Amino acid sequence: MNSVPTNDNPFAGDNSGIQQRETAARWALRVGSYIVVLTTVAIMLHIFVKGAPVVFRSQWPFVNTQFLTELPATLHVIEDQQGNHIETDVNGADAVKMKLGDNFRSEKTISYSGGGILGPIVGTALLVVVSVSVALFLGVACAIYLSEYAKHGKFLEMVRLAILNLAGVPSVVFGLFGLGAFVLTAPRFVAVPAERSVFAIPLGFTTLSFEGWDTCVLSGGFTLAFVILPVIITASEQCLQAVPQGFRETSMALGATRWQTIRYSVLPFATPGILTSSILGIARAAGETAPIMFTAALAFKDKLPWQKDMLPLPADASIFKHWEQSVSRFLGIFTESVQALPYHIYTLAAKIPQNEYAERAQHGSVFVFLVLVASLAASSVLLRKRLRAKYRW
Amino acid sequence: MTPAANPKSIPPPVVQVRDMDFCYGTSKALFDINLKVEYHRVTALIGPSGCGKSTLLRCINRMNDRVPSARVTKGEVLVKGKNVHDTDVDLTQLRKQVGMVFQKSNPFPKSIYENVAYGLRIHGEKNKNVLDEAVERSLTHAALWEELKDRLNANALALSGGQQQRLCIARAIATVPDVLLMDEPCSALDPISTLKIEELMHQLAHEFTVIIVTHNMQQAVRVSDYTAFLHLGKLVEFAPTEELFTNPREKLTEAYLRGTFS
Repeated sequence: MNSVPTNDNPFAGDNSGIQQRETAARWALRVGSYIVVLTTVAIMLHIFVKGAPVVFRSQWPFVNTQFLTELPATLHVIEDQQGNHIETDVNGADAVKMKLGDNFRSEKTISYSGGGILGPIVGTALLVVVSVSVALFLGVACAIYLSEYAKHGKFLEMVRLAILNLAGVPSVVFGLFGLGAFVLTAPRFVAVPAERSVFAIPLGFTTLSFEGWDTCVLSGGFTLAFVILPVIITASEQCLQAVPQGFRETSMALGATRWQTIRYSVLPFATPGILTSSILGIARAAGETAPIMFTAALAFKDKLPWQKDMLPLPADASIFKHWEQSVSRFLGIFTESVQALPYHIYTLAAKIPQNEYAERAQHGSVFVFLVLVASLAASSVLLRKRLRAKYRW
Repeated sequence: MTPAANPKSIPPPVVQVRDMDFCYGTSKALFDINLKVEYHRVTALIGPSGCGKSTLLRCINRMNDRVPSARVTKGEVLVKGKNVHDTDVDLTQLRKQVGMVFQKSNPFPKSIYENVAYGLRIHGEKNKNVLDEAVERSLTHAALWEELKDRLNANALALSGGQQQRLCIARAIATVPDVLLMDEPCSALDPISTLKIEELMHQLAHEFTVIIVTHNMQQAVRVSDYTAFLHLGKLVEFAPTEELFTNPREKLTEAYLRGTFS
């Protein structure tokens, strides 16, 4: 039977605590989010306010070219009797002192804080190139195998779990792994094996000796590759799985082999996602400090990796010999140890006495580093947008 | 090989299934199937959902190989007289000669031209003239050439649903298969597109042998020469379409046709 309508509000809430609890929950969540956002903004602002003045100039060319194009050097700060501070490098110090004469009061030296940070930038770039190449090759190969070839079952699940766990391994462990595996035992071709060689396989014309690659770009790059490998494998597998099964079925039904199917109707449509994830991998690889501490990075190096003492070209240098030397010079880049941005920042922050000059170098480096990472992230977003528009299904 | 070419001798069936059992793991999906499909006929497989029509269809080009632990446990499937499970059968060659169109139209997100040329390209055809010719021939067969000849480089995904499905047919016939398997090709299409594809099937039967799975009995009547009725994994009745629909021999077929169950 129908109830008689009354003037009372039929939807009136009861006055139990439900409403209050609702409000409290909403505010708790909101406050949590605000704390996160504010902290992020504060970090960014701090770096920008402190770092931008180091990198930018108010006059043409508006950028501190010295900071971006010179190698790190020791900063000499000379104070005169009036309390003026004159900054100079090691070569200019004497001239300044001479000029000041009796006006000279004191001289301070601050390690690594003068010059620029070209060395670390170049080193980080090289490390990233090596690590991303290695990680992309291994990671995509692994993802394709796991997603397209491997039999589904317990074992596959265990492999996946192991890969996920690899992502949780502390990076310093990767550093030690890299030290043991790449720096000390990785195989290389040598004429005479070193004494520490684990074992050597004579090949007649040369010897394959497991004596490691020393600390160099290659060792560091490979170590970093293993740090970002889980990310790349997981992301690539997801991208492969996102390609509709219908594409594979159709391709197979047309008589394509499995590899043809992958090559022509799976990979092209998974590539955008794989590239996006690999760019995020770049950001990760560029930022890691611990893995390169033992494998590639130096606190200080006064040469770029390609500035090496090499034998001058022989007088009868034919084109072929010249070519050979160019190649060995190019490959030599990767067997040099380098400076790297995150390690440079660590050095500036923890290994030298802190003062305004060291702090300036720190903030400048952090700012440049952050701009690099941010632009990588931005380009990954752009790339994804573009490719998505192209390959949508 | 066409019946018209040699009317006296009975041509061998292009597809023959003999006493076949099929299992997914431990559950049996098909029981003792016997089926003969003749050249240049349209054969329809009908039956309620889950009766094994698609499974039977996918046995013919061995697409079931992709399903783990799915296998033929008894009997054999012969295509052009050859057991498709023989060890010397190259899957790529089998599938080149037994094309397939799926329920969901799934053109690759590539150009129309590349979609049709896909099958030929993976079989190593590089000659541009051959490819051009095959694309035109296939699209003409699929009644798409007039509509699409000016925009072969457009993305296939820009086409309408019906056009996409006809494009998939064009893609499947580009390699000139003997048999064309169609797995409910119209189930996702509107009535007009369905009509176009049904018209197309009559045309296709001149060149190819068509086996079509359909849940739509009227469609089977409209397009097919022979109809096989499957129920719970068993082939209940296989007869010329007219005969099966007007005068079914089996009670079960009659009940199904009357709509007593579905």
